[in-house]
Amino acid sequence: MNAGDLSERLRSHDPAVGLRAVGALHRLAEQVEAAAVARAREQGWSWEQIGDALGVSRQSVHAKYGK
Amino acid sequence: MFEQFAAEARATVASALEETTLRGDRRIGTEHLLLGVLHDPGAVRALGTDLETARSALDALDRSALAVVGIDVQGIERAPVPASRKRTPFTSGARAVLPRALAETKKARSRRITPEHLLLALLDCERPDPAAELLAELDIDRTAVRARLTQPG
Repeated sequence: MNAGDLSERLRSHDPAVGLRAVGALHRLAEQVEAAAVARAREQGWSWEQIGDALGVSRQSVHAKYGK
Repeated sequence: MFEQFAAEARATVASALEETTLRGDRRIGTEHLLLGVLHDPGAVRALGTDLETARSALDALDRSALAVVGIDVQGIERAPVPASRKRTPFTSGARAVLPRALAETKKARSRRITPEHLLLALLDCERPDPAAELLAELDIDRTAVRARLTQPG
């Protein structure tokens, strides 16, 4: 999508752009989380520490990322 | 429904699921089905694009949408999301593609749903459907693709 297209759609308050942004934020959060968890594991963080940092239980983070 | 799927079309749905989780999405949408279809060489030929190009186009759509809300994703460390153990349902848009694919199968007097039938059904999606957005971003001529898919031989 080029800049002209995009500004045109913004001017017209195309809800597809705003809704896509929300979906993209969710995807971004998931991808950044996956990268950060992998890095924390490499550096010796426990599942418990990672869970605490993410605000979730040790079990749920381990179920998602544990091998 | 899935018992009418040819092995290749089952593989398409499995690939769509894989694309969904890799991206960190919670439901299989029409855009994931389109990426799934692009795992099939016949569909790649008909569409005149490939999986990597389509994945990048989808990322480009996300990047522009994020730019709108003031987020620049350049240089952010990201990783593919591991497969979830939870069931990944279809979006209602993706669910609606399945009976249309079956209709394409009947039109072609074929017994099983193939990736090409799924693709024909996806080509009928209209904006704001995500597959339609992706086809537009890829600048794909749907009429030409439909002709390539339905011409005999």
